[in-house]
Amino acid sequence: MKYIKPIVVIIIFILIFIFLNKLLSPKYMTDLVEGNMTYEYYKEDKKHEVIFIGDCEVYANFSPMVLYEEEGITSYVRGNSQQLIWQSYYILKETLKYETPKVVVFNVNSMRYSEPVSEAYNRLAIDKMKWSKEKIGIIKASMTEEEDFLSYVIPLLRYHSRFDKLTSEDFEYLFKTKNSMYNGFLINKNVKPVESLPTKRRLSTYQFKGNCYEYLDKITALCRENNIKLVLIKAPSVYPYWYDEYEKQIQEYAANNNLDYYNFKEKVEEIGIDYSTDTYDGGLHLNLNGATKLSKYFSKILKEKYELIDYRNDERISNIYEEKLKQYIEEIN
Amino acid sequence: MLINILLLILSIGIYAKFGISNLIYILFSTITTYIAAMVIERKKINKGNALYNVNNVNEGNKNNETIEVEAKNNQNKKHRKWILILTIAINACILIAIKILIFGQAKYNLLSTTNIIAPLGISYYTLQVISYIVDVYKGKIEAEKNFFKYLLYVMYFPYLFIGPITRYEDMKKELFKKKSIKLENIYNGAIRILWGLTKKFVIAGRVGILINTIATDTSNYKGSYALLAMLLYSVQLYADFSGGIDIVIGGSKMLGINLKENFDSPYLSQSIKEFWRRWHIALSSWLKDYIYIPLGGNRCSKIRNKINVIITFVISGFWHGINYLLWGLMHGLLVVYGKILKTKWKPLNILITFLLVSVLWSFFIWPDTITSLQMIQSIFTNFNYVEMFTNFQNLGLNLENIIVLITSVLALIIFDIKKDKIINKIKNYKLEGKIAVIGTLALIVLVFGIYGIGFNVSEFIYSKF
Repeated sequence: MKYIKPIVVIIIFILIFIFLNKLLSPKYMTDLVEGNMTYEYYKEDKKHEVIFIGDCEVYANFSPMVLYEEEGITSYVRGNSQQLIWQSYYILKETLKYETPKVVVFNVNSMRYSEPVSEAYNRLAIDKMKWSKEKIGIIKASMTEEEDFLSYVIPLLRYHSRFDKLTSEDFEYLFKTKNSMYNGFLINKNVKPVESLPTKRRLSTYQFKGNCYEYLDKITALCRENNIKLVLIKAPSVYPYWYDEYEKQIQEYAANNNLDYYNFKEKVEEIGIDYSTDTYDGGLHLNLNGATKLSKYFSKILKEKYELIDYRNDERISNIYEEKLKQYIEEIN
Repeated sequence: MLINILLLILSIGIYAKFGISNLIYILFSTITTYIAAMVIERKKINKGNALYNVNNVNEGNKNNETIEVEAKNNQNKKHRKWILILTIAINACILIAIKILIFGQAKYNLLSTTNIIAPLGISYYTLQVISYIVDVYKGKIEAEKNFFKYLLYVMYFPYLFIGPITRYEDMKKELFKKKSIKLENIYNGAIRILWGLTKKFVIAGRVGILINTIATDTSNYKGSYALLAMLLYSVQLYADFSGGIDIVIGGSKMLGINLKENFDSPYLSQSIKEFWRRWHIALSSWLKDYIYIPLGGNRCSKIRNKINVIITFVISGFWHGINYLLWGLMHGLLVVYGKILKTKWKPLNILITFLLVSVLWSFFIWPDTITSLQMIQSIFTNFNYVEMFTNFQNLGLNLENIIVLITSVLALIIFDIKKDKIINKIKNYKLEGKIAVIGTLALIVLVFGIYGIGFNVSEFIYSKF
């Protein structure tokens, strides 16, 4: 009896603490929706034959709804803003706990980065990931020098200063979320044609770093162990950040490991991408028009080369996708 | 015993973590003073013999042996004095040299290829070892025979960064008494730590943002801004320093070690003299016992006494760094001649003292004496308070944060006024009440504290001295 009151007080403070952690954490519902990408996957019906992993070049450029509409392919884009290669590895590892796709498509752009880049991007990718061995691994691999592990465990340590930035969104989505993406694809209908491009920078070395290869090997091994076909891609972009030396190294890696590699930068005309109408940021990423064209093009390759099932004939799956497709079409028109 | 072994290992580990050179410096000071104290103590044993022989002399039995012992004792006395002077000189010289080098590097870019960093806590432990050796010499305490006990006294990590400066006489009782972990101590210690963290992170951290904006742009921020910075710095320094001391005292309390208070509501002082009895008490009392009194204290002419006070304050300024000599001198003069500023109205005295202390903190805000003096001058020549009020929200804090700051400063003022009452009330709370206080303070620190990326949480203003 003596300890009932103290225990009640402790419980009340723990509840307040949990509440404050939830309240002050960003909700990513209307602004920076990229922060919700990792979480939206958990709400999905997890039966996808194709999983995309990579940075913004996958979630902005490949639309699973188009893949379904065109070829009946079920797919999901597990992308994040500036998803680094070790993040792709842990995201894939986590995905394999839920499902085993036939094909994993990895965008090789992140081979350019051998060190953690930005705390803000880390947060967008990791904050809403469910706790698991993979989450611990992704945090440890991604943290910049200024970050600490504890602030991932207790978000309040990172987001406490948001007390003066709270909006109605923070209260509305305190205990619920809404989807902002379609199977991980983020619609962007804006058009900003290519006008000027940054100058091509000379680098001291064009050799991908050892740790990037290490994680690429891990991704390759993970797919092999699970009988998954790993497909390497380089998404199209007119920005001069993908050097010939990079291209050569990826081609060599693909050949040595018996992997398929598609560089869509070189197929822009064949795909029909028009950089005066198909980009929302002057050529770095594709907009909805461009993504639709690229997805249609890639859906044919996927269907032909990897013997994927046409799920438009599966009643349960097609019901789910048709419903989503309806919403998707409404939103894009 | 086990706690002390752990404390010693932890202390050595922490020192080493900040660089092995830290360990070399502190071990040098510890070993030299330990050996010197042992030698002084041994030489003192002969003093007993001397007394015996003196008695014999009185009885008229003066013989060759007595003369020899007497001569030996005189020699011992001299030796003891020289050992004391030499030990103090060696340790003080290291501190003085470091202070000069740091100043020289900042001001004249001396030794530009080497970055001079003061060994961790050197200003604090040097004063501690000096007080120890002097106390042994004076016979106030016995030399500690167990080196590791003495080492723990010097290196005790909770007072590593900001003190308080302790005396061996006090610490021996606390460190080496039989300790047991008591729940009561844990709650009270936790409350004290959290109160310190509140002061440090909620108040000092927030004020620091405003001061950084003002102090780093002297061409745009002078006049009323300079005065604002001085007033705010009073708040920041107090919240930061006393907050740090609260953490040290609270942490020690949890271990069953009681440390003396270092602050006693200093901004409620009615004179600068009183301020120094309430601010950084450990330093003030060290300066009194080991500088002011040996200089002659007040047992001399009035003029000499005034000079003694001023010298003591100049040394206090030097202890902070060469940049603070003028600050020390000004405080010394205000202690000596402060009476002329005293009125009959208590609140006015408090206000005058607070303003004087705040203006003199300017030597701590700006990087050099000239800039500090220019900023003080600008208060009288370029006040422009209208601009300061209209621009207040552009100084780095938005309205919400200003409200948090004002509320927390008011809480600090109320606490300082009603300190004893509040502490007693909390002491008498039942367990659930104490848990509620701990929970509330913890949530306040977590939510309203200024910490995280871009803020160094382990940095205290007074750790740089």
